[in-house]
This record gives sequence, structure tokens and C-alpha cells, in this order.
Amino acid sequence: MYDNEYFVVDMASCSSTGEIINSLSLALETLNHTGKKIVMKLNDSYLNQSQMLSIQSLITSYGCILDTVETINEDTAKIAENMNLFVQKPIEKRIDEKYEKENSSNFEPFTIKPEPKPELISLKDVNGLHFEADLDAMEQRQSQINIASDLTQAGISLSSDFETIEKQISNQYGMNEEISTTVETFPTVAPITETPEFATFNQVEEHKEFENAEKNSIGVYKKAYDENQIHDDQWEEVDFYETPTNDPVVSDTKNTTYINQTLRSGQILEADGNVVIIGDCHPGSEVRALGDITVWGVLSGIAHAGCKGNINAKVRALKMNAVQLRIGNCYSRRPDSTNIPYIIRSSIFTPEEARVVDGEIMLFKINQN
Amino acid sequence: MAGSVIVITSGKGGVGKTTTSANIGTALAHLGYKVVLIDTDIGLRNLDLLLGLENRIVYTIVDVVEERCKLKQALVKDKKNPNLCLLAAAQTRDKSALDAEQLKDICEKLKEDFDYVLVDCPAGIEQGFQNAVAGANEAIVVTTPEMSAIRDADRIIGLLESKEGVERYRLLVNRVRPKLIKANDMMGVDDVVEILSCDLIGVIPEDTNIITSTNKGEPVVNDEKSLAGMAYINVAKRITGEDVPLLDIDEPSTLLDKIKKFFAKKA
Repeated sequence: MYDNEYFVVDMASCSSTGEIINSLSLALETLNHTGKKIVMKLNDSYLNQSQMLSIQSLITSYGCILDTVETINEDTAKIAENMNLFVQKPIEKRIDEKYEKENSSNFEPFTIKPEPKPELISLKDVNGLHFEADLDAMEQRQSQINIASDLTQAGISLSSDFETIEKQISNQYGMNEEISTTVETFPTVAPITETPEFATFNQVEEHKEFENAEKNSIGVYKKAYDENQIHDDQWEEVDFYETPTNDPVVSDTKNTTYINQTLRSGQILEADGNVVIIGDCHPGSEVRALGDITVWGVLSGIAHAGCKGNINAKVRALKMNAVQLRIGNCYSRRPDSTNIPYIIRSSIFTPEEARVVDGEIMLFKINQN
Repeated sequence: MAGSVIVITSGKGGVGKTTTSANIGTALAHLGYKVVLIDTDIGLRNLDLLLGLENRIVYTIVDVVEERCKLKQALVKDKKNPNLCLLAAAQTRDKSALDAEQLKDICEKLKEDFDYVLVDCPAGIEQGFQNAVAGANEAIVVTTPEMSAIRDADRIIGLLESKEGVERYRLLVNRVRPKLIKANDMMGVDDVVEILSCDLIGVIPEDTNIITSTNKGEPVVNDEKSLAGMAYINVAKRITGEDVPLLDIDEPSTLLDKIKKFFAKKA
């Protein structure tokens, strides 16, 4: 039915638009299909026009063309027709033996084989994955999460936060009225599976503690951080600048928020870029940023850098006393051994930087490799 | 000349807000200023007890707000000091009987006639706190050298910073026990100030006289020998802008220390 020009992506098992985007980008990311025509197999899921547009531009950004949509949902079909796409009704069942025999020579439906163990796999393994047709939807999702988190870890970011993409795209369409060929990559938001067990962060010297610790890199952050949203209307007077950063590591940051004030208990600071706080972060306060967090003072509250999954984000402070450190989807708490109720001030601070190493948050001295 | 409205608040309960209000109010009145104390802890009023004015209350702040009496009718004059007045809270109602605007109006009116309007704030950060802070242009945050009180004070300072009108807030560390600090069992005042990064207005030592004076209905500042009383007078002086050094609350703890101190003085 489809010849070699086509690449068929089977997303019949995907129920939400986020999943569709996720598995689509996975399929395009892991295998090279430049110049091919994409056939999307959707079952009954409804996509509105802007969602469809964003999917289209996602595909375009990988050098492919969205050609055909297979769906039984009439609304989706109509929208696809409006976009000058071919619309087909799916053939009854893809597991149908006849159908498979007939078409096996022409194309290989893209689905992901469930891994026997939901272990973390490296990027190499992802490339070597082979895909088969018949599988259990739940296990598929599980393995998707793992791959997704691994890719993020390896510096590749995937899209699944649909709202953000949609917004971005609709902005592009609305503002410029031309289709952008590149869609910026967004960090993964992994679906909630379980609350992560907390590993402790520690000095590099105490690395031994981590050897037996369980790896838990699947973190949960479903909130969308639209703007520099600040709670309690407490920060209206805060100075705010937007400056472009050319940092290639932090793909999802565009601006930096400067706060020249001490954050006190109960105050939450959220920013869609990097954050620089000139002052302390007292216990009970919380900082969440899409990019890096830098505290020019004592950090004693909760800091969540790369809160949408950017595992390359960093937390820096002149004095690191954070109750919890979170980077991307890694969580860690302050070791009980250093659980001092109040910090003893000294004139000597050792500025530290928290980074993710092998799925665990480690503290380094600034400029230490 | 319009006076200043000072709210005395803490977040945590039981750290000594009401005692502080009563004592600072009395001390300021002793210094010759006209002072009015407003109790905003509606439903759980205590300030009148500490001043021993319970039996003189006819009208309360709720009566004023609901226009059953004039503001001046509701002011209760102190037994000893005519400079000091109390605007008592109602015991029969709850915090929702007032709103922030009404209290602000009352503070504005009282400011014209009095040098200092001290607002005793209820514990918590709910309606009662919002009411009490509404009219204030200065705040005294009371805390004790305990982690829980400090955490709450931190929260309160954060809320005060965001409030319009509150120009300045200062910290009062209450119930300090020098013995425990010396033995490193209690946080020192310096630590508290460091943690909260906030100006200090005074340090009040733990004093058993406070308990007896509360029961008697007479503020401890009337007792000239009491260490806490002296500390409160110093705080009052600092409020008026006088520069007073911190009181030496380090009492010689043991007989041996006393003897040592005695000889040290002689030598």
C-alpha cells in the first residue's frame, strides 16, 4: 500500500496528544527518515487544527513531510483535509495476518518493543532498538518514558509538553503568518509513574554512598511554567530584565531573571529562564526555573533547576544548604548528617555547583570538573 | 503631628506578642508619649488582662466598627498612666467581625491624637493578621530563639515586605536564656539575627517576673528591678529613636561565677 517513499508511524495506541508528539519525535529522532513522506496512524484521537499544525511543523523540522493521516475520527479527518493532507480510514486491524503478509514487504509500522526490564538504557541502546508491531500499550508507555528520560540525559530533548509547543506554534502563525521550518526542542515531561525515592546529594568525595543507591531519574513535573509567574503578588516591585543567553548547553533558556532580594519562607519564585538571586534563600522558600539557578548567598530552601526536564541545568550557591535539590527529573535531599537546623555563618564560603552525574545530583566546587 | 502605627506580630503563637505590646505601650507612656494599644485578637482577647483593665471595658473595637459607639468612648484609660489607652477586642465575636479597611480607618483616626498606636496582632497569617497589618507603617516581629518561631517570623517578614505602608520592620528576640546560649543549647541572638537578616530592636531575657506580673495585671516595666522590664524600656526608647545599647543580660550563673565577677571588678 505504501512504498519506500513513505514512513508509517503507528500511534493507534496513543491516547493523548502529548503521547502522539512524544512517540512521533522518538520515531523521527531514532531513525533517519529525511525526505520521506510520513503516514500517521491515529485511531480515534481528536486533534484540533493548531495541534495538527504543530505536529506538521515538528515533522518538517526533521526534514520529512506529513503526507497522510489515517484516522477514524471524523473531526480529525476534516481538519486534515483542510490542511491538504490525504486522509484514509485505517484497515480494520493491523494485527490481521493477511494484512501483515500483504504489506510486510512495503513498510514496517513503527512501534516500540517493550523492554523486559524498565532499566535505564544508554543512547547506544536506543539507536539499536528494533521495532515490532504487536505489543502491550502499558509496557510501551513505560519503555517510552525510559528512552525519553535517557535521551534527555544525553542532551537530546524531546517534545511532549503539548501546550507549550502549541502555544509556540500558534504564536508563530499568529505573529508572522509563515510556517517556521524549525520547531524548538522542548524538554520532556515524563508522565507521573511514582513518587521518586529521594537520594541524598553529597560531596564528590563521598561518592561511595551512591553506589548502592537506587537510580530514580524519573521525576514528575506536569505544571506548565508559562511566564515569570510569581506567587502571592509579592514580587511586583522586583527588578526584571530580559537578556539573551548564547549558552548552547541550556537549550530551553532565553532569558535570565535577576532578583535582588532575599527569598523568605513561603515565597516561591518561578521563572522561564535562568535565575540569579542576589541574597539568601531561606528555608521554606522555593525556586523553580527552566534553566540554571544561581544564588549569590546561602541557599537553604528548595531549588529546582531545569524544572521541565532539562537535566543539564545547574544550581550554584555561595553556600549550599538546600533542603532539597532538584534538577530536571532528579530529586535529592540534604544528607541527614549535615542536617543542621541553622547554619553557622563564617567568612569563608565554598561556592558549590550541583550537577547531574549518572542520574544523581552531585555537588562540585565551582570550576571543578 | 501624626503618630506612627506599629504592629506587633510574630506568626507563631505564644512567643510574647501581647506581653510585648502591653510592656512597650506602658514604657512609652512612662516616657511621656501618648499611646493607644489596639487589641485585634478578637475572640481571644488578652491585652486587657495584662494591663488589668478587664473590668473597665464597656465598648470594644467591634462596637466602634459597627457604630454602636464613638471611637473615643471605646478607649479605656490605664489605671496609673493617663497617657496610655486601650482599645479592647470583643470576646464574643471572631476575626471576621473586622476587615482591613475598617482597622485602617481606626488607625488613621487614632494617629491624629496619639504619638504611638500599637496594634497587637493575633497569631497566624490569616484574616486577623491581614487586619492588624493594614494600617501599620512599622512592625515589630517578635520571635524566640527556637527554630519554629524563627521560621514563622521569616514567613511574617516576607509577608510584611510585600505589604504597602509597612516602611520598616524590626526584630525583637524574646525569652532569651543566656545560660542555655552559653551552654550552646540555645541559639544565640546573633544567630537569630543572621538567619532572619533583619534589624534588631531588642532582646528580652526570660524572666519569671513576667508570669507573676501577667497574673497580677500589671506590666513588668512597672517593676524597676526586673531585667525584662528594663529591656522593654530600652526597646521603647529605641522606638522613639533614642540610641540605647543592648542590655547586658548575662547574669552570673553560679556562685563561683559571682565570686569571679566580684574579684574581676575589684581588680
